[in-house]
Amino acid sequence: MSQTATQPGPSQAGVSGAAASPGTRTAPVDQPESVSGVHLREDVPALLNRWQLIAVVTCVLFGVLVALLQSLSWQANGRAADNAQQLVRVQELQSSLFRADALASNAFLVGGLESPAQRAEYDAALEQVQRDITDAARAQPADADALAQLNVAVAAYATDVARARDNNRLGLPVGAAYLTDAGQGLRADVVPILTALVDANTDRVVTEIGGQHPWLILAVGVLALLVLWWVNRQLAARFRRRINLGVAAAAVGVLVITLIGVGYAAVRDSNNSDVADGSLQRAFDGAQTRTAANDAKANEARRLIQRGSGQAFEDAWIVAGATVDENLTRTGYSDAWNSYVDAHNEIVALDEGGDWDAAVALATDPAEQSTRALTAFDADSRELVTDASLAATQDLRNGGPTALLLILLTLVVAGAAAGAVTAGINQRRKEFS
Amino acid sequence: MKRPALSIACTLAGVLLASGCGYDATVVPTAEPSAELTPAPASAPPECSDATATYPASAKADGPALQRIKQRGRLIAGVSADTYLLASRNPIKGRIEGFDIDMVNAVARAIFGPDGADKVSLRVITAADRIPVLQSGDVDIVVRNMTINCSRWADIAFSNEYYRSGQKILVRKDLADQGVNSPDQLTNLKVCAPANTTSLDNIAKAAPGAKLVPAINHTGCLVKFQRGEVDAITGDDTVLAGLAAQDPYAVVPNQAAFTAEPYGIGVNSDDVDLVQFINSVLETERASGDWQGSYAEWLGPLLNVKGKQPAPNYTRPLPG
Repeated sequence: MSQTATQPGPSQAGVSGAAASPGTRTAPVDQPESVSGVHLREDVPALLNRWQLIAVVTCVLFGVLVALLQSLSWQANGRAADNAQQLVRVQELQSSLFRADALASNAFLVGGLESPAQRAEYDAALEQVQRDITDAARAQPADADALAQLNVAVAAYATDVARARDNNRLGLPVGAAYLTDAGQGLRADVVPILTALVDANTDRVVTEIGGQHPWLILAVGVLALLVLWWVNRQLAARFRRRINLGVAAAAVGVLVITLIGVGYAAVRDSNNSDVADGSLQRAFDGAQTRTAANDAKANEARRLIQRGSGQAFEDAWIVAGATVDENLTRTGYSDAWNSYVDAHNEIVALDEGGDWDAAVALATDPAEQSTRALTAFDADSRELVTDASLAATQDLRNGGPTALLLILLTLVVAGAAAGAVTAGINQRRKEFS
Repeated sequence: MKRPALSIACTLAGVLLASGCGYDATVVPTAEPSAELTPAPASAPPECSDATATYPASAKADGPALQRIKQRGRLIAGVSADTYLLASRNPIKGRIEGFDIDMVNAVARAIFGPDGADKVSLRVITAADRIPVLQSGDVDIVVRNMTINCSRWADIAFSNEYYRSGQKILVRKDLADQGVNSPDQLTNLKVCAPANTTSLDNIAKAAPGAKLVPAINHTGCLVKFQRGEVDAITGDDTVLAGLAAQDPYAVVPNQAAFTAEPYGIGVNSDDVDLVQFINSVLETERASGDWQGSYAEWLGPLLNVKGKQPAPNYTRPLPG
């Protein structure tokens, strides 16, 4: 990096501004137009001003762009965490709704003598849904319209369930029709809205989680280095010094910041991929499993309400059960689920064997295996979702101070680089003067 | 000097704008509106001189259908669970009960003895399922306020008529107060009937100006009625009485039935021995007074008409 002080050769003696030594002025007018590609009638001070401007702007622009990219990446991770939280919230909302539906359907089978604990759990599940809708609308304005529609659909569902329950308590068969409508409304009106919310938030998470830009930082850094190299080349061609110390120092600064920036962005990118495939996927699977398990239980109750003619509900149970089984291959084996499946098979056998009363008793008694196992599985799934989503959002939010430090470092180094090129070219200006 | 500054400003503005943009609003797919019901063009019903004519009664329980039921140890009956008074689930007692269920139990007792009612498997079916479940052999009998007609005789067999009903209309109390009591007064009103039933076909003929709204069953119609989606419901008087009993604002005005609906017990066409056996059971019910007891328990208090078991009509020749 030493500044070579070679004297200009004869052919370069008259190069305008590319002084062989300090004090050399512009080339005489009778000199050829150019020598070795260098214009002979150049205004060297003006060129120095221009190169200085280009180099300074390059350093500043590099600093601002890289800091901006780092800032965007940092913000993208924050937004990814927010969107992941929203995604899990929507899925939890769906799980709570299906939990409520399973409880309402099961309670219907026992008429007015429903379990107070299960009734309280139904109320709590619906309250949770209402709270989640409010929280979700506050968290993501883009979801507000969809959530407003969801609110209407959930209210209609809750009204139908309430009418079903009231009529059931009076012994009126119209209650069953309201329960059927509630279940159909949940699946035909509510689920499409939830699916749209899940899809939209999944897209947002995917977009933001891919918001790290190592290649873009590298491109900006390389461009800045190329410009500095070009400025240095111009200086070298005119001052017979291969390297300008200031420009070289600036280039080193740019290189270091580029390497650090690219490295950090690459690490964050890799970490984000791990979160997407790890804790976030686990939260997603857990919520889906919880929804499917409660859907299965609701279909079991509806099968019994249909009393021997509920094959469509048994088919729906099989589909929901397959979803649970598939997700469990990723989230982990569950004794509670297997226990529930055994109980369900027993219920089906009793129903198909003509002992409907025993099947209903097995399905509805909170002390029996069916309800006990499903309640345990629901609690386990909920805990898994809570833990996994917390881990995912924490991982995505991690690194905030480092990112801030890096942004500051980038700006400081870019500023220093701009100062260095200014000083380096000023040195040439002094030499020229 | 100006150009680089301008380009820098533009770049920064672009990046900042890009970073500051919000998300597109979540789009919820709109549901396809359900197609409006237009009654299917009525195909000419198969001609028969007397739809209520059935096979002669026989108490012999050694035919192939009865042997099959005895070997299974259960009588499988397709019934309704939401037709109040005829067959509906009593959530307090946890069982399906009603006039139709009494008929099922009578047949079961005749096959299995006094505890026959415990050997009944009830399968809840919709009106549209009645013929398919018999044809597929999923059930032995269907007792679900099923009208005997020539068209159905082409698909299944019927027992003797066990109840004579007729189609009427149920309307909102305010409409009844205004004097609406016949199908021709239903023009521009929304009228509900279960899909794929003769009730829907009959009202389409009797009230061509009415807007028809189908539902999965009569209780589904009551749900629509209570939600204000329909103004009236049409169906057999027995069914409408059950609906009116569940809603004080639903009224069956005094009116003449505009159809005759002879109810019969549906049986697979091949189970002729079972039809004959059921006919003998219905005669036993008549002789013992059990039919009158069931009528008095379920239908009498709401219909306010003295019940009369229809006379037997055994003029249908045995096949082969």
